[in-house]
Amino acid sequence: MPGSRPRTALALALLVTGAVAVGGATTHAPARPAHAAAPAVATRRAATAKQLPPGPGRELVERGCLACHSAMLITQQRKDSTGWEKTVQQMEKWGGGARPEERATLMDYLRRHFAAGAK
Amino acid sequence: MRRRDFLTTVARAGAASAALAALPAWAQRIAAPAGATDLIERNDWPEHWETTVAALGRSWLTPNARFFVRSHFPVPAVDVAAWRLEVTGLVHRPLRLTLHELRAFAAVERAHTLECAGNGRARFALPRTSGTQWDLGAVGNARWGGVRLASVLERAGVKPEAKHVWFEAADHAPLPTVPPFLRSIPIDRAMDDVVLADRMNGAPLPKLHGAPLRAIVPGWFGMASAKWVTRVRLESAPSDNHFMVKGYRYAYPGEDAAQAAPVDEMKIKSIITRPLDGARLPHGVLRVEGFAWGGRAGVKQVELSDDAGRSWRPAALHGEPDGTGWRAWMAAVDVRTPGAVTLMARATDAAGAVQPVEARANAGGYGNNSIHRVTVHAG
Repeated sequence: MPGSRPRTALALALLVTGAVAVGGATTHAPARPAHAAAPAVATRRAATAKQLPPGPGRELVERGCLACHSAMLITQQRKDSTGWEKTVQQMEKWGGGARPEERATLMDYLRRHFAAGAK
Repeated sequence: MRRRDFLTTVARAGAASAALAALPAWAQRIAAPAGATDLIERNDWPEHWETTVAALGRSWLTPNARFFVRSHFPVPAVDVAAWRLEVTGLVHRPLRLTLHELRAFAAVERAHTLECAGNGRARFALPRTSGTQWDLGAVGNARWGGVRLASVLERAGVKPEAKHVWFEAADHAPLPTVPPFLRSIPIDRAMDDVVLADRMNGAPLPKLHGAPLRAIVPGWFGMASAKWVTRVRLESAPSDNHFMVKGYRYAYPGEDAAQAAPVDEMKIKSIITRPLDGARLPHGVLRVEGFAWGGRAGVKQVELSDDAGRSWRPAALHGEPDGTGWRAWMAAVDVRTPGAVTLMARATDAAGAVQPVEARANAGGYGNNSIHRVTVHAG
């Protein structure tokens, strides 16, 4: 199963690129006008990735979600358990998500931090 | 009526287009370049930016630099010199057109309001509205210039069995296992008023908005107006893409998205752009302004309430309809005593559809056309 999932390597490659470029970038993402000189995408993505709360499962989000999604999209979700279940199932069909043995950890992380009522 | 307060100074961008210059005086004005706080970044990559209500209220046409942005995938790199628009599938004469050849078709330019289907998603009270948490500003009004899709299809010769037009585009997900964003529209829509646009408010179409070419499907939510279009395919059936079959469906709690009604025509809606929610104002006569838009039926009227919806009075609509562009409206409210006043705006379309006090929440958070209310404090 792991061999059929190239996403992990790609996600890591993107993250490493971002981490190298980020330097001292801010962790906040304020309103940004369209015409402003936007920082490099990798820098911006690495900066917003820092918004993911620490804890078990964070690394799985970085590996399984950030190849295609910004951390900003994840941190603004307030889904119930069924909502996250559906989302992760869909992403697994498309080559994202987590390996079977890591799935429970990923789901716990998403439910803990990005559910209705979560801080 | 002090329109100069409603619409700010004449923009240089307006002079770039004779068609823009031909607009009525009140609508010619495009506000000054976007300020640093005119856009709210909801997602950094791909870009999901919404316009603040204050910025929307400055002009009837929303300047390109502060027009909301919603992309499913990152902006693709397009080599314009090598770019071709292909017209394939159920046609008698497949085409492969350069931009130059495309521009030889009769030009059209009309105003059309684009609204993201998820605009207002953050205002739905439901634990499972998946996606970007848009507030009020994933909407904008622009003059879109280009050619009629129908002109191109007539040149290609549509076969009788062609019932749907698929828009293939240059954008794709970072992972090859993710399906593309491939929307289709019925042939009767394609042969009506759909535009293949390469200009926006008199300027070349910006990359973020689909350059070199995007579709504009007037009156439908934004997802139908595919960006970065490279191929128009005539098919007998609608697209079976994920973003047609499962995405963009009004799935109410307990329903299966695949069986639910598709999101297409925009719903009648209005927004109060002045005064802003929470504003502190002197009591007396208060000018209230905003915009109203919807599907192709057109806006019939806008009404305003200052007593929590117990009574309504008509607002005045500016000018005449232009395409499916939104209608600017204005009303005066006499606030005689200091205190909090809640204003509500309610639009009705020509087919009789009226904005609900609370739109019904659905899992995707689509089509929230709940009546907009703002509370101001009169001193």
